[in-house]
Amino acid sequence: MAQAKLGRSEQVTGWAFVAPALVLLGIFMIYPIIWSLWMSFQVGKGMNLSFGGWANIIRLTKDPVFIRALVNTCIFFVVQVPIMIVLALLFAVALNDPKLRFRGLFRTAIFLPCVTSLIAYSTLFKSMFATDGVVNNALIWLHVVSGPIPWLQDPFWAKVLIILAITWRWTGYNMIFYLAALQNIDRSIYEAARIDGIPAWARFTGITIPMLKPVILFTTIISTIGTLQLFDEVNNITIGGPSDATLTLSLYIYNLTFKFMPSFGYSATVSWVIVVIVAILSFLQFLIARDRRPAA
Amino acid sequence: MSGLKLRGIRKSFGAVEVLRGIDLDIEDKEFVVFVGPSGCGKSTLLRLIAGLETISGGELDIGDKRMNDVDPSRRGIAMVFQSYALYPHMTVRENMGFALRFAGVAKAEIDRQVTEAARILELEPLLNRRPKELSGGQRQRVAIGRAIVRHPQVFLFDEPLSNLDAELRVHMRIEIARLHKELATTIIYVTHDQVEAMTLADKIVVLRDGAIAQVGSPLKLYDDPDNLFVAGFIGSPKMNFLKGIVDGSVVRLPDHGNQTIPLVAKAAHGSEVTVGLRPEYFKAGGASQLDVTVEMVEHLGSESYAYARHGAGDVLTIATQNDRELKGGDKLSARFDPAKALLFDPAGQRIR
Ligand SMILES: Nc1ncnc2c1ncn2[C@@H]1O[C@H](COP(=O)(O)OP(=O)(O)OP(=O)(O)O)[C@@H](O)[C@H]1O
Ligand SMILES: [Mg+2]
Repeated sequence: MAQAKLGRSEQVTGWAFVAPALVLLGIFMIYPIIWSLWMSFQVGKGMNLSFGGWANIIRLTKDPVFIRALVNTCIFFVVQVPIMIVLALLFAVALNDPKLRFRGLFRTAIFLPCVTSLIAYSTLFKSMFATDGVVNNALIWLHVVSGPIPWLQDPFWAKVLIILAITWRWTGYNMIFYLAALQNIDRSIYEAARIDGIPAWARFTGITIPMLKPVILFTTIISTIGTLQLFDEVNNITIGGPSDATLTLSLYIYNLTFKFMPSFGYSATVSWVIVVIVAILSFLQFLIARDRRPAA
Repeated sequence: MSGLKLRGIRKSFGAVEVLRGIDLDIEDKEFVVFVGPSGCGKSTLLRLIAGLETISGGELDIGDKRMNDVDPSRRGIAMVFQSYALYPHMTVRENMGFALRFAGVAKAEIDRQVTEAARILELEPLLNRRPKELSGGQRQRVAIGRAIVRHPQVFLFDEPLSNLDAELRVHMRIEIARLHKELATTIIYVTHDQVEAMTLADKIVVLRDGAIAQVGSPLKLYDDPDNLFVAGFIGSPKMNFLKGIVDGSVVRLPDHGNQTIPLVAKAAHGSEVTVGLRPEYFKAGGASQLDVTVEMVEHLGSESYAYARHGAGDVLTIATQNDRELKGGDKLSARFDPAKALLFDPAGQRIR
């Protein structure tokens, strides 16, 4: 092996080159990760910590706020990710059609939200969806609703609002991945399908989707992780309210650490819950997307 | 009845006119080859017939039915693409059966059709593989199989062999010729390989700049080209073109020391003509003769090509049968039968 043949000085030089990166990685990633795992077994308030064994995990099962946050997060994830992925796919396919006019304009418009400032858009959403905001006014004017929708006051509508917001912000981001993948598909495959008389819907489900499968898997996992860590929107638009209806795990961790009497050990435990859920979901998604037909 | 009739077919992309009025009749069960230089509109014409592009003007009939605005899947055609265009995530079996699933064919019948096509194309052992697990030639056969199962009246091939290596190309060429016999359907085949065109075609259509330069059987185009373009395009090595000036009843060749050959067609005294001589027209015992100096010789085994010129004139290609001793610097008296020389006017049209 080449490795064995490397001289001592090359070894040293090599390590010297990667050392800065390794040190930084160690200090800012690996150490905190291990430390947070250790923390998650500590109980106590503020700096007054002691080893508590499984105490935090038992506390989790009895903590109604945690359960609330977990359920909310799962709702966001289960409802929002599929909606966004499907929307992004449809946009990508539509924008990939060379017959569509102003494609560049639409593409930019759909992608722009994900490069806008979080605070700016959160504040804007908050004012747009206020009881007397433009959205309600428009809906009333269009006779879609008779009275204003209590976006920020009703637990159900607050969730809808959050889902709308993150969908608005991240659909374009996912769409870009699909567009890139679509542009790599040989056009003549679709022409062959047209000549073969494959209807448009079957071209989409039977050709486009399977060919985009690796990208769909990738974006699904990225979006899953993103949604499970959902923090900014809920913190800025609804502050977890009304009455914890939009409280997410990340927001709960933040509250536990910085808002309430600091409970570092317990918040570390909640963080690790997210890690475990992400790991399980990613594994499941890989399992589902795996090629179940080994080559003959 | 599945002949095709093209009347004044035009195609423009924006302001660019790519096809400028194509009139063509294709008989039922005929093997027609479109040839022409790159960019002359071969693929575009094929795609118009397939319905992948809209026709800008003119009329397209397939089997006596006007097809201008008919959906590609209802024209009774199947197409094989240069890039194969197989569905990469499907097995060979699924690739071939996919179209039938949407044509309302029963599952057992699909299986039967696919098996039958696989037998014809010797694909049986590969039915459960994916395209990426196949060689180029095998992929091409799958693409043909996918066309066969639909039982089209007309097969369209767009440079199907140009991604294959030379040996496989010869093999697949023979396969396609065999298929044409076996399936007895009309085939329209695009290529820029004139050997493919000469060997496969019942009828060759030579295209140039979006118009037909000449239509005819391979040997007709070879022996009796209508214009300089076709004369130069068909045949390898290329036909020699010599500048000539009509001088009474002879043609004088100014680049060849004013040697003369008898005038074989009607042309006015003093007019400029181009004399076309195929390399293989040079034979011992011909009545006319050109004195040239050999520059280089290519020995191909069965025959040799001498590249020779007179003074500073253009290089001539001369085929010689048994002259293995010939080498650069040799003087050569190349004899030919002047009756075989072709004459073209300054516009490139044949003078007969
Ligand atoms: N979609 C298009 N938009 C604009 N111009 C096009 C389009 N398709 C083809 N053309 C032009 O039409 C002309 C003919 O193209 P075509 O593909 O038919 O050539 P071809 O004879 O098949 O050449 P080749 O042997 O290189 O495949 C070219 O000049 C090409 O640039
Ligand atoms: Mg082409």
